[in-house]
Amino acid sequence: MMRKFWSVLRKEIIDNLRDRRTLLTVLVFGPLFGPVFYTVMMNAIVNQQISNRDQPLKLPVVGAQYAPGLIEYLKQHDTQIEAAPADPRVAVGQGKQDVVLVIGKDYTSAFTAGNPATLQLVEDASRQSAAKNVRRARNLLDAYSREIGSLRLLARGINPGGVLAPLAIEDVDVSTPRSRAVLILGFLPYFFLFAAIMGGFYLAIDATAGERERGSLEPLLTTSIPRTTLVCAKLAAVTAFCALSLALAVVAFYFCQGFIHISQLDITVNFDPRTAGIMFLVAAPFTVFIAALLTVVASFTHSYKEAQTWLSFVFILPMIPAFGLMLMPAQPAWWMMVIPTMSQDVLMTSLLKGEALNPGFVAMSVGSTLLLGLILAWVAAWLYRQERILG
Amino acid sequence: MIEVQNISKRFGAVQAVQDASFIAPDGHITGLLGPNGAGKSTTLRIVSTVIRADRGNVRVDGSEVHADEDAVRLKLGVLPHASGLYPRLSARENIRYFGELNGLYGKPLAARVEELIALLEIDEFADRKAKGFSQGQRIKVALARAMVHGPRNLVLDEPTNGLDVMATRALRGLIRKLREQGHCVVFSSHIMQEVAALCDDIVIIAQGRIVARGTPDALRAQTGEQDLEEAFVKLAGDSMERSA
Repeated sequence: MMRKFWSVLRKEIIDNLRDRRTLLTVLVFGPLFGPVFYTVMMNAIVNQQISNRDQPLKLPVVGAQYAPGLIEYLKQHDTQIEAAPADPRVAVGQGKQDVVLVIGKDYTSAFTAGNPATLQLVEDASRQSAAKNVRRARNLLDAYSREIGSLRLLARGINPGGVLAPLAIEDVDVSTPRSRAVLILGFLPYFFLFAAIMGGFYLAIDATAGERERGSLEPLLTTSIPRTTLVCAKLAAVTAFCALSLALAVVAFYFCQGFIHISQLDITVNFDPRTAGIMFLVAAPFTVFIAALLTVVASFTHSYKEAQTWLSFVFILPMIPAFGLMLMPAQPAWWMMVIPTMSQDVLMTSLLKGEALNPGFVAMSVGSTLLLGLILAWVAAWLYRQERILG
Repeated sequence: MIEVQNISKRFGAVQAVQDASFIAPDGHITGLLGPNGAGKSTTLRIVSTVIRADRGNVRVDGSEVHADEDAVRLKLGVLPHASGLYPRLSARENIRYFGELNGLYGKPLAARVEELIALLEIDEFADRKAKGFSQGQRIKVALARAMVHGPRNLVLDEPTNGLDVMATRALRGLIRKLREQGHCVVFSSHIMQEVAALCDDIVIIAQGRIVARGTPDALRAQTGEQDLEEAFVKLAGDSMERSA
């Protein structure tokens, strides 16, 4: 009985490794799609963030000659003063400039007299992309204004400390670097589950609908292998491919990390080899479940094409909890651990955040996923004892 | 020896087989002859354990299909309607796989596979992938696969379908050789000449019922027709008219 199990398992694996499409899916497309897509996306985000922060503010100024002190202050604070366009309002209105500073002729006289000196900041409040530079310019001007105020008070013998700034507001960002990373990495668990599904996709079809379409199922069922053994071996082969693809995806992501310049975002991702290993183990029960699901669905279909169509729906499965958790961020809860894909998603996200896993949650996730997998396996075995499996 | 006793099978509204009985003894070639859709394949599939009869029973060398499927499977070699080889496995691997599933391993399996490769003249393409095989090559490998566990009884569903003249002749020669070795061979066909050329016993089936059985001579005598084809038309046709 065991020997026959191994015979079927070995045959299915060797047979399917000879199929180029299956091989590409298991070894390349399934495992690499997620990590590579991720690396490219992350680097795009990182580059954008860095370019916004590190570049000096480019500020066109009209009438720079009236306020040499202000201009000097701006230059010292990482601002690049540029020649002003002929008509600042038009230039900003057309989006050629984010913001333009206009210094009037009477600025000098008002400033020397100690009266409020008027400056104009020409901006378009409807343009989101300009908001950041407008804010930077305004903050600089505010700071300069406070500094001049303080100096004037000092000149009058008053300590400006609590007068100009009765409130001292400090930003306290409670998001740790890791929790910020998770916002970006939130979709990673989905890619791992995706890799697991891709791994078993073609083998599940080949071993069921494909076998029927080729006409090899009928002779197979005339051999003396018990049907349950036959189905278990086929399931084991699909599971092996799912697990292989999943493992490769984890390894691929581990190496892809090196290509993501994530440190420049001032965030860290918890993905050392140990975490990667735990990640794989947490997701491993899912391979049993998905292998059984793919096999059962494919067993109901009559041809390769039909099976492909139906199994495509299976791909949407892990996306539902992933989107759900994105839209309604929730703390891990017991009920989530009962649902395959969701429990793995939640646990993997916790791991990425660097949180300690709740052993009860892990046991619940593993138990319920394996149990559902076994139920599906039982359905598959039952199907193969029915005449209509021959179609 | 295969004994078919009063089997009936219905698929939905279609009565595929109705109360069919016949005996195929060892050392005999028994031909199941009938027009397309007469119930030949259904009968053979019941014998080969892949579908169950609604009523009646089949015994293979004394083992009952319903009571002991496994024993029947080991005593039976089946060549189904479609040869059903695995295209990415070589001829040898296809044969070995079925040997293992029927409980043969190691040296006995290797020896048996070589024996069949020689018997069926598969040497030339034994290690090629089955994907590019001609129909004749495919049938040979499927036959070797059906015989790998050394069954005494062979069930062949339209084995000469799609074969050219030379391949058909070779296959007939092989089937005769198997008879000489004492095998019980049951094969189905809708081609009169083939059955006439090969069979010791003929079972004529039409519309799911067995309308006549006996040696070719007996059938000629029963109908009073010298030509076997005329005899067949008369027997099969009568049944159709009755039911119409």
